[in-house]
Amino acid sequence: MSNRKLPRLLQTPAVLLLLIWMLVPLGLTLYFSFIRYVLNSLRKPEWTTPSISNWRGFGNYEYVLNSKDFILAIQNSLFIVCSILFLTVILGILIAVLINKAFAGRGIVRVLLISPFFVMPAVNAVLWINMILDPVLGLQGLGVQGLNGLIASLQSAPGVGWFFSLWPQFEPISFRASQTSAYAVIIMVTWQWTPFAVLIFMTSLQSEDEQCKEAAILDGAGAWSQFRFLTLPHLGRPIAIVVMIQAIFHLSLYAEIEIVSRGNGNKNLPYLIGEFANNNIGAASATGIFAVILANIVAIFLLRMVGKTLME
Amino acid sequence: MGSIQLKQVQKKFGETEVIPPLDLTIEDGEFVVFVGPSGCGKSTLLRLIAGLEETTSGTIEIDGGDATAVPPSKRGLAMVFQSYALYPHMSVRKNIAFPLRMAKMSQTEQNERIEAAASALNLTDYLDRRPGQLSGGQRQRVAIGRAIVREPSAFLFDEPLSNLDAALRVGMRMEISELHKKLATTMVYVTHDQVEAMTMADKIVVLQAGVIEQVGSPLELYHTPRNLFVAGFIGSPKMNLIAGSEAEKLGAHTIGVRPEHIDVSKTEGQWKGTVGVAEHLGSDTFIHIHGIEGCDPLTVRAAGDVDVKYGDTVYLTPNAALIHKFGPDGLRMS
Repeated sequence: MSNRKLPRLLQTPAVLLLLIWMLVPLGLTLYFSFIRYVLNSLRKPEWTTPSISNWRGFGNYEYVLNSKDFILAIQNSLFIVCSILFLTVILGILIAVLINKAFAGRGIVRVLLISPFFVMPAVNAVLWINMILDPVLGLQGLGVQGLNGLIASLQSAPGVGWFFSLWPQFEPISFRASQTSAYAVIIMVTWQWTPFAVLIFMTSLQSEDEQCKEAAILDGAGAWSQFRFLTLPHLGRPIAIVVMIQAIFHLSLYAEIEIVSRGNGNKNLPYLIGEFANNNIGAASATGIFAVILANIVAIFLLRMVGKTLME
Repeated sequence: MGSIQLKQVQKKFGETEVIPPLDLTIEDGEFVVFVGPSGCGKSTLLRLIAGLEETTSGTIEIDGGDATAVPPSKRGLAMVFQSYALYPHMSVRKNIAFPLRMAKMSQTEQNERIEAAASALNLTDYLDRRPGQLSGGQRQRVAIGRAIVREPSAFLFDEPLSNLDAALRVGMRMEISELHKKLATTMVYVTHDQVEAMTMADKIVVLQAGVIEQVGSPLELYHTPRNLFVAGFIGSPKMNLIAGSEAEKLGAHTIGVRPEHIDVSKTEGQWKGTVGVAEHLGSDTFIHIHGIEGCDPLTVRAAGDVDVKYGDTVYLTPNAALIHKFGPDGLRMS
């Protein structure tokens, strides 16, 4: 027993530091979430300093639950995170399998594929919303314009003109509108994070046993069966890793939402926290606690699901 | 059914010719062993038969039909790999069921075949385990089970025992031999271990640098090796190859004497030498003898109770009727 004491003693400072690192912010958030604490109040100046005498109980939580954006923020958080996870995992697997084959210029293709990951989130959002998704000046607007022009010119063409006269005028989609801004966020974050998934899946594919594949070929497995029964189970653990890491990152998306629509009709929990934190720290802290609970539920749920479906 | 014929089969990797054009016939029901030092092309030859490698030229016929362009899964062959190549995410049952599942066999027939294979290979208690939870020998049995259930026309074994420890290897050797007797299916077996070849084969194919040096039954190879390479490769301990004046006395370039065909005496004999290391195995003693011209050391296989020590002077007499003579081209002189 005694020979374990020394190592424990030596570990203590590191463990304590980590505990403080984690517990102090969490403890402060919990504390703020139970008191009245605002940054600026002319009517009640005593609320501007955090103090136990301003105790509010679950009042902040009630206030947050009853605020009009809370349910939307939860739904939106889940919608955005799940959509991004779904898209990045599918795209990641497909691209990783594709570039796992040997072809000329594979090294360059790999570097190019990874590059979106190096773009800063805010820059990514500005580029996408202004240069690509903008309904007038962006690639989207120009594309729709071009398509409409092409159809208009084909309507007077002999032979096929009647067919194209049946076509409607296409309307470009405005991704800054409240209903569609979540899609814009999903698109740009998927573009940015697919390389991450590709990178992880690619390294995992390289450790796949070639003899197993040969055995499967001899056993009569076609390309699809090899993928379904060998490659996909082999990717089970990397998929779990990608899902977990991305879930953590995307639950805290902020820059993209701010830039696309300034939270108009498209808020997630961090954005809501940001809005509350303009003045009401108590409510912001209560929302933060909700976010912690949501993150835990999502992590447990997703990991279970991935584990069950792929590990058989 | 399971006869395999290779006609002028050649394999090149880029510019390197691994297997120069080669002919070989494997009869139905035969246990054929490809043996040779590592890098001699024996595994490549097996992979060519399996269809995992494409031939550069020549034809492979299975059961009389041209199979050169037939995809591996349609050749009706089952292969057991050196690394077992089990599917790590599936239970033993699912591993064995995999080829049947791919063939879209009914569930009841699948179960019947799996049960039969599992009981034949003593795997019944392990069917629900993962390959990672099995020992090397058990994994090898699962790999064999996965091959058996398909009821292939021939089995291909690629050094299946080289990852097992010595004791297990002897056991598995027997099991595979027994399996061959029971199933009477053609088996093609690749190994670098001539003991495995000698003990298991109906027919041994000795390969060197992609070239077939000799084809024959184990005893044919032992008694009449066609050339120096086969003479030195088959038999344990190795045949003593003596060049120089002793060989010239018999009108040959090199003579070969197996260690078991030399008598040891302390008083008189044809050759005189000193004892080096003596390996006492109990049943036999392998004595390495120095000082004999043209072959140093010379190995003698003597009785287990022979009384020699390091440094003793001994006299050796080879059994004249069992001396192999080879000409300057390395070929056997009749």
